[in-house]
Amino acid sequence: MDAAYNLARWLVRDEHDAQDVVQEAYLRALRFAGGFRGGDPRAWILAIVRNTAFTWLKRNRGPASPTEFDEEMHSAAGEESGLEADAVRRADGAMIRAALEELADDFREVIVMRDIEGLSYKEIADAADVPIGTVMSRLARARGKLARSLQERIGKDRITKEPA
Amino acid sequence: MTCDDARVLMHGHLDGELDLVDDLDVQRHIEECPRCASEYAALRAMRTRLKDDAFRFEAPPALKEKIRRAIPASTTTRANGYQSRRGAWVPRAVRFAAPMAIGAMLALIIAPRMFAPALNQQLASEVVASHVRSLMATHLMDVASTDQHTVKPWFNGKLDFSPPVTDFAKDGFPLVGGRLDYIEGRPVAALVYQHGKHVINVFMWPTAGTATSAERIETEHGYNVEQLTVAGMNCWMVSDLNQMELDNFANLIRTKG
Repeated sequence: MDAAYNLARWLVRDEHDAQDVVQEAYLRALRFAGGFRGGDPRAWILAIVRNTAFTWLKRNRGPASPTEFDEEMHSAAGEESGLEADAVRRADGAMIRAALEELADDFREVIVMRDIEGLSYKEIADAADVPIGTVMSRLARARGKLARSLQERIGKDRITKEPA
Repeated sequence: MTCDDARVLMHGHLDGELDLVDDLDVQRHIEECPRCASEYAALRAMRTRLKDDAFRFEAPPALKEKIRRAIPASTTTRANGYQSRRGAWVPRAVRFAAPMAIGAMLALIIAPRMFAPALNQQLASEVVASHVRSLMATHLMDVASTDQHTVKPWFNGKLDFSPPVTDFAKDGFPLVGGRLDYIEGRPVAALVYQHGKHVINVFMWPTAGTATSAERIETEHGYNVEQLTVAGMNCWMVSDLNQMELDNFANLIRTKG
């Protein structure tokens, strides 16, 4: 159940809402237990959590951020600057959390499923209902964005703390 | 390998999700290209940071308790509902079914890993994943040749067995090449055939059984998978071909391969 809660918590970004989402998801899972056709039960329950969370977000916070559009806009620009391991290592927990929360839902969820929850590409494909081939390319974009966002934050941080 | 390819594939490399050959290719590229090396180092550093438990939210105990209590309750309510509407013989069945449903749900919550997929299902998923990766990563073949006498010797020294390689061009399934792959924790031979625009991956590795076994067909993610044992080789075929055509192909392998 921790995996379900962790995903919901990152998707809706609120402790109480996440609890509501998980509870609703488990009740749905119970109602549709017949829909479980073998395979990985963790991916199955996470798929339900994910759908519940997105329905919840739509109902309570208006239409989702236009990920697809955003994806196109950013894929060309901004990715030319190289990444530095050093900058990533200097980021503190609050920075990482903020950067991750600002990512588009589609990107945030693959990072949460892979890097925090440790799911395989196959499990992610099942849970997020995308072809397995999409998982790696989406992860590549998501991680690239997250790392760049951390680098920018580090840059800004340095400027405010040590005015040149 | 170009930097553009490497920048996507390095994620699969980082996650241990690539087949053997792609994995080595990316590794080599990262070693040779300083730009990709620094990108890879940054990604590794980031992944290490994200593994920190600080980023993983645990479900509050109260929530776990609430859900565990809610599940049997909702099933019981339904059982009572039937009882009032339908006389006395139904509840006996419901009384029998409800604890089973509850048990299944609790097992799902408490021990999700209990329902591990059967070996065949797992293997089927593995070969489909390999098939998809071979198409996705533009790394379908290590040796591109329609000549079985070029493809077969290519495997020498790369595998501890010699896979049967036959060209079925006359039957509409030309051999186009071969590749090393990695299935079930061991290097295997992957033969690539074509039928029209469809690609068929045939994965082969030795098995203890020598008899020709009946084939089994399954569908995974829209791909058809067929398995048979022929001449001591475990043989898995994956393609987006329809089942009938894949079946025809399997027959060729069984009778002429």
